Amino acid sequence: MSLTARRAKAVPGNRGTPPPRTPAGRKRALGLDRGAWFLLLPALIPILVLSAGPLLYGVALAFTDEQAGRTESAEFVGLLNFTDLRHDSLFWESFRVGLVWAVCVTTLQFVLALGLALLLNQNLRFRWLARTLALVPWAMPEVVVGIMWRLVYHQDAGILNKTLSQLGLIGENVDWLTNMSLALPAVIVVGIWAGMPQTTVVLLAGLQNVPHELREAAHIDGAGLWRRFTTVTWPALRPVVLAITALNFIWNFNSFGLVYVLTQGGPGSQTRLPMLFAYEEAFKYGQFGYAAAMGLVMVAVIAVLLAVFLRNRLKEDSE
Amino acid sequence: MSRTFSPAPPVPRGRRAGRAAGRFGQYAALLCYLVFLAFPLLWLLSTSFKSPQELGSIDPTWIPREPSLENYRIAFDAHPLARSALNSLLVAGSAALIAVTIAVPAAYVMVRYRSRVSKAGTVWILVSQMFPLVLIIIPLFLVLKNLQMINSLPGLVLVYVVWNLPFSLWMLQGYVKAVPLSLEEAAAVDGASRLRVLTGVVLPLLTPGLVATLMFSFVTAWNEFFFALVLLKSPERQTMSVILTHFVGAEGVADLGPLAAASFLATLPSLLFFALLQRRLVNGMLAGSVKG
Amino acid sequence: MRALHRRTLRAGTAAALALCLAVLAGCGNGDDAADGTVTLDFLSLAWQAESVTAYQALVDEWNEANPDVQVRYVQGSWDNIHDQLLTSFMGGEAPDIIHNDASDLTDFANGGYLADLTGLLPESLVEDIPQQAWDTTAYEGGTYGVPFLQEPRVLVANTRLLEEAGVRVPTPEDPWTWDEFEEVSADLTRDTDGDGDTDTYGVAWSMKEPVTQSVNLSLSTGGRIFDREDGENVIRFGDDESAVAELISRQVNEDGTAPRSSLGMSGSDTLPGFFADRYAMLPLNFSFRQQVDQQAPDDFEWSVLPMPSGGGEDGLAQGVAPQTLSVAEDAEDQQAAADFIAHLTRAEHAMDLARGDWMLPTSETALADPSLNTAEHGWRTGVELAAHLRPSPVLGVRGYPEWKDKIATPAFQEFYSGAFGLSELRGRLRDDGNRVLDRYQR
Repeated sequence: MSLTARRAKAVPGNRGTPPPRTPAGRKRALGLDRGAWFLLLPALIPILVLSAGPLLYGVALAFTDEQAGRTESAEFVGLLNFTDLRHDSLFWESFRVGLVWAVCVTTLQFVLALGLALLLNQNLRFRWLARTLALVPWAMPEVVVGIMWRLVYHQDAGILNKTLSQLGLIGENVDWLTNMSLALPAVIVVGIWAGMPQTTVVLLAGLQNVPHELREAAHIDGAGLWRRFTTVTWPALRPVVLAITALNFIWNFNSFGLVYVLTQGGPGSQTRLPMLFAYEEAFKYGQFGYAAAMGLVMVAVIAVLLAVFLRNRLKEDSE
Repeated sequence: MSRTFSPAPPVPRGRRAGRAAGRFGQYAALLCYLVFLAFPLLWLLSTSFKSPQELGSIDPTWIPREPSLENYRIAFDAHPLARSALNSLLVAGSAALIAVTIAVPAAYVMVRYRSRVSKAGTVWILVSQMFPLVLIIIPLFLVLKNLQMINSLPGLVLVYVVWNLPFSLWMLQGYVKAVPLSLEEAAAVDGASRLRVLTGVVLPLLTPGLVATLMFSFVTAWNEFFFALVLLKSPERQTMSVILTHFVGAEGVADLGPLAAASFLATLPSLLFFALLQRRLVNGMLAGSVKG
Repeated sequence: MRALHRRTLRAGTAAALALCLAVLAGCGNGDDAADGTVTLDFLSLAWQAESVTAYQALVDEWNEANPDVQVRYVQGSWDNIHDQLLTSFMGGEAPDIIHNDASDLTDFANGGYLADLTGLLPESLVEDIPQQAWDTTAYEGGTYGVPFLQEPRVLVANTRLLEEAGVRVPTPEDPWTWDEFEEVSADLTRDTDGDGDTDTYGVAWSMKEPVTQSVNLSLSTGGRIFDREDGENVIRFGDDESAVAELISRQVNEDGTAPRSSLGMSGSDTLPGFFADRYAMLPLNFSFRQQVDQQAPDDFEWSVLPMPSGGGEDGLAQGVAPQTLSVAEDAEDQQAAADFIAHLTRAEHAMDLARGDWMLPTSETALADPSLNTAEHGWRTGVELAAHLRPSPVLGVRGYPEWKDKIATPAFQEFYSGAFGLSELRGRLRDDGNRVLDRYQR
């Protein structure tokens, strides 16, 4: 970008920055001056072509009876898909599973990742190695992650059962993935494991925003570890925490690949996540219209949950 | 404010008693984390050296009883691993660099300008992450077909760039917000252009965030599977994550040894990338730039 | 510092551009030659090294003999074949020749994506494959694939444990009845160290995919599962259909001769326990012998037995969904594609492919080949069972995948683990199930 650092007539916008000084700068479209558009366009164009278009198409599908197959063309059916969905008790049951999954994974992921990020931010020996190793789950392709964890949880030949029985913690091998009450917790652990590096890295980068002098000042004032954290670290970290937690929640709610490899939704329907429903509806049964309706309903529910969670950040944005 | 961004590592000086114990606790906690997070890699490594017979054993051991390189030989013989690794590297590398390059200015604008576009951008970021991927794939496929970008690596790069943009924008916004406005104002008063302010003042302060975003984009693209599967037809263009599924047969039966060998190799580039970048993740290059 | 940073930034941008150029350079070449030759993509699902080699050799042989019709080998995976095909069909970019299995063809044929092969295949091939097999790929009067490989389910048994228990060894001529099987399972179940916990179970049912097994095995007791009433598919689950399912549930929940924990396992998950004497017998697909052979300890002896018989003439019957080769409706040259399929499935070639995948060829000529009629690895047992294989009842039923995922899989899983009884299972499979099927038959 610095290559193109010619004298663009760009001027600072708002938030206490000085007002525009050149007439050209006052020409604004949608609240942005030319310089801003210049900065925004490289991201905007691919988004409009490859994301916004398909997204709108997907939304439109929800109001049609689009199916796989070249023999029939889709017709507009209004809200039929949504009324069907209202009576789809299996879907709502999986919705419950999905919420439990997403809330548990997101929360635990965050707590553990915060602890790890704080540790990795310390001046410990070998921290370069620790930082690299902490990212292992991220580096492993998802296909492999599923297969690896199936091996770990394997009832007869799994390393987990072997270790636990060597430590004398269990008398008999446990069937982690097929037990009605253990399956969901077991896959949640994998979910946490798989998503931790990402959260950790984001938080670690966020910790660099924490004003070091303030911490030291607080230290000299005799503030304890906890007080230092709540008064200095946390306020600086908060925007990043909100951002990553919100995204994590969305991602977790939308994910199903890993769980599918582990349990295929079983035993019974204990680990059947809602996105698996939409996926199967579209790709296995070819009911694209109905699947799109499921997608929209999920978007709506998550949007409401997020709006509550993020109300402060959104308020800031609109100020 | 600028003083608060000194480069000193966060080592509190003048610790009192209990310091040694605290240190020990920290190391112990870190060790627990690492065991939890990294043991599957060791297990993968161990598996990749085991014979089929040992893999069928009910009594798994960490150290293979008769380690052999046979699985690696099979993996390389059966599938074009080197070629696909190169493809993945090209695609993931380009996608990550491009995504971050175009996300930084956009995120900057979204934070520093109050406008409808910024608001629409925020909404789009969240909605695009919420909307089920499965419903977007087919329209996306049709768009790419019209652009003549099916079965081409640049097409895949383009998809990954767009795919990574929401996260990149979202995170970078958070990091940009943390940059003190006073620094920018000072530069603006000096007569620097908007772009100058961005590249000269904001960008250096963003380094940790940039690195985090870069890592994310690279890894997402490196591991991504479904787009690569449906967009690339030619065998010589397939990426690593697609090749790995070729070790899996019907009913989830997997050729475990060779799969582990190939997976271990597929994991290494990302780890190497992390090892190289992790330093930038924390230190930043704050010292010189902030004084400006 | 700032200058340094600028430099790295500039270098980074330049590197990005260079990379892009490199990528682009590597991808400029188009697919189609302009000289009138046809290039067909063959999406193959062979996955074990030996069978990949076998397929590739046949492709090379074809390309040598047919300079005008070049076939390109494209590797696919069973793991995601359906998604890949559906997407590329809808995008109009499907491969020309498609390797798949019969259960996946119904929806694609219904969607109009596959070519009707009637009249495109040589007479010799049509006659060499029995009608039973052709029925698996028939849909509304058309033929949408060549069924070329199939496999029965068999019992893989620990020979030593069978001998120790002194049980009669069954053969396809004289198989166990299901009752006998239940007794044998009890004979094989042992508590060797006397601590009150079972150390060896007679049988381990791997029920990660409970529906296909339960449906296909029910044929042995005269089950049909899907009935046609007034031209519509209706699910039935009477005594004939439920006999095997009841037996499995009994073994797990009453007899204690089958472990509950294996219910969630896939076939390969049960192997370590099998080698370690935890399970004496495993019901597995015929091709699993390859894994058993590969993973068994050196001194481990195993044998391949037929599944028990439901009595009567058709007691050994079971449903199968063979592997198939199909041609896309959009294929550049349907006749050439069909010719290539005929080349792959010629008796001597089909035999190579069958051996590579440890499966049975459907071709009668290939099946009669002496090299398959050997006792080694239980090949002969499989060959003798071939005549008892029927099209799986699920083939050709629209809506079956949804019934399977949403209704039948959870219902069978919970039933086998003892969560509820037969009447509840019936209700779910039939009443909930028919509601699902109805939506496809409006």
